[in-house]
Amino acid sequence: MTAFRAVVLEHFRHPRNRGPLADAHASAEGANPLCGDRIRIQLRADDEAITDARFTADACALCVASASLLTEHVRGMRIGDAALVDVAWLHHSLEGEPPPGRRRCAQLPLETMHRAVTALGGAL
Amino acid sequence: MATHDVIGDLDLLTGDRAVTLATLVAASGSTSKKVGAKMVVGESGRLIGGVTIGGCVDAQVIEAADEIITTGGRRLLSISLDDDEAFEIGLTCGGTVDVLLERIAPRNARDVIAAAHRAAHASLESGQAAVIVTPLDGSAAALVVTETGTRHGSLGDMALDDAVASIALDVFRDGSRVETIEDRRFFFDRLAPPMTLVIVGAGQIAMSLTRMARELEMRSVVVDGRERYATRERFPDADEIRIGMPSDIVGEIAPNQRVAVALIAHDYKYDLPVLRQLLRAPIGYLGMLGSTKRGAAVRELLRDEGFTDDELARIHTPIGLALGGKSPPEVALSILAEIVAVRSGKRG
Repeated sequence: MTAFRAVVLEHFRHPRNRGPLADAHASAEGANPLCGDRIRIQLRADDEAITDARFTADACALCVASASLLTEHVRGMRIGDAALVDVAWLHHSLEGEPPPGRRRCAQLPLETMHRAVTALGGAL
Repeated sequence: MATHDVIGDLDLLTGDRAVTLATLVAASGSTSKKVGAKMVVGESGRLIGGVTIGGCVDAQVIEAADEIITTGGRRLLSISLDDDEAFEIGLTCGGTVDVLLERIAPRNARDVIAAAHRAAHASLESGQAAVIVTPLDGSAAALVVTETGTRHGSLGDMALDDAVASIALDVFRDGSRVETIEDRRFFFDRLAPPMTLVIVGAGQIAMSLTRMARELEMRSVVVDGRERYATRERFPDADEIRIGMPSDIVGEIAPNQRVAVALIAHDYKYDLPVLRQLLRAPIGYLGMLGSTKRGAAVRELLRDEGFTDDELARIHTPIGLALGGKSPPEVALSILAEIVAVRSGKRG
């Protein structure tokens, strides 16, 4: 098994931060219209940093793993820095690049996270 | 229109000042109709529904119903299924049926039977079952008890109404039946809202399911995350089309025994979140498309998350009765056959 596949399966079987976030300050939803992946990312923050991040997903293993990694990563991060998390970081964390036909699955949580961070900026 | 929905039936008979409502209140031996089955016979001769297996037996009911439209009143008609030639040559299974015949003036506000059905209809419209209680002797009277305990009408005696309301609670669970109270016989007629079939996955099987569900008087709700699949053009027969996160959507549906959920997306991205949402919900049926091997893998994943064997055993997978068909309509038929079997207390 490749390292990439091991990371995806580990985070799918034991996702971090899965479930709704009560009293979230910002929330964003994303969907892949053709494959049907659906994800919601919710954030809480104080004046400077993200204090909590959780996700809810009806989505494939790669999408869930990506959301799990991202929510772990942005916890405690300054809001401005969270907006800069990019695909390169995601691929590094996944320990490999997704196959070409599956890149949207991994990127959906990232795009949704960016929209949640933008909404967070407006909400604070 | 559902056959249990008498007011819906009566609406079809606009123009009839009076109709006879025939209700099967008891049956022994073999009959294909359930106690509570109804037929409305219009003044104009029109017929809706049916209370017996047909043939000469139905003819006797219609003849008596025609008479009651003219004479008024009510009558309990007992028909033996043993006393014709068909029984002699072994072509009928025998038994008896008791049919209550009542004349109703649908647009007369003082007609207590019409008023009872109107109250029951309102209860069904709000998603609540109702029991209509009528005496099998004497003059017309009716008490309606809804699932929430609300009462409409009266049998003419408060103590009797209280006793009847208490029995009605059992009838909600066990179904329509005749009960004797202080030497008087009463028919307890349970009317339940239609079953709701929630279909997760808007593919071809779902299209067939919505068409067939309509024929079975089930309300169908199609759920998918993909706008291009869950369209009105593809699902003209669906009562509702919901697009969004499937686990959110099924979580919003009030769980009860009249809800059946068919997971036919054949995609774990929907199966697992929806199962997490429903395995502990008191719904009547939960089926999932997929092989035995896939079903075992899904159960294993959920067992690791803390679901018990009893909870996991609620998933009917492979979904449907083993009819052998492979085409989408054939698979849909097998799924609906299993839902009907489970609802009827048979092994799915």
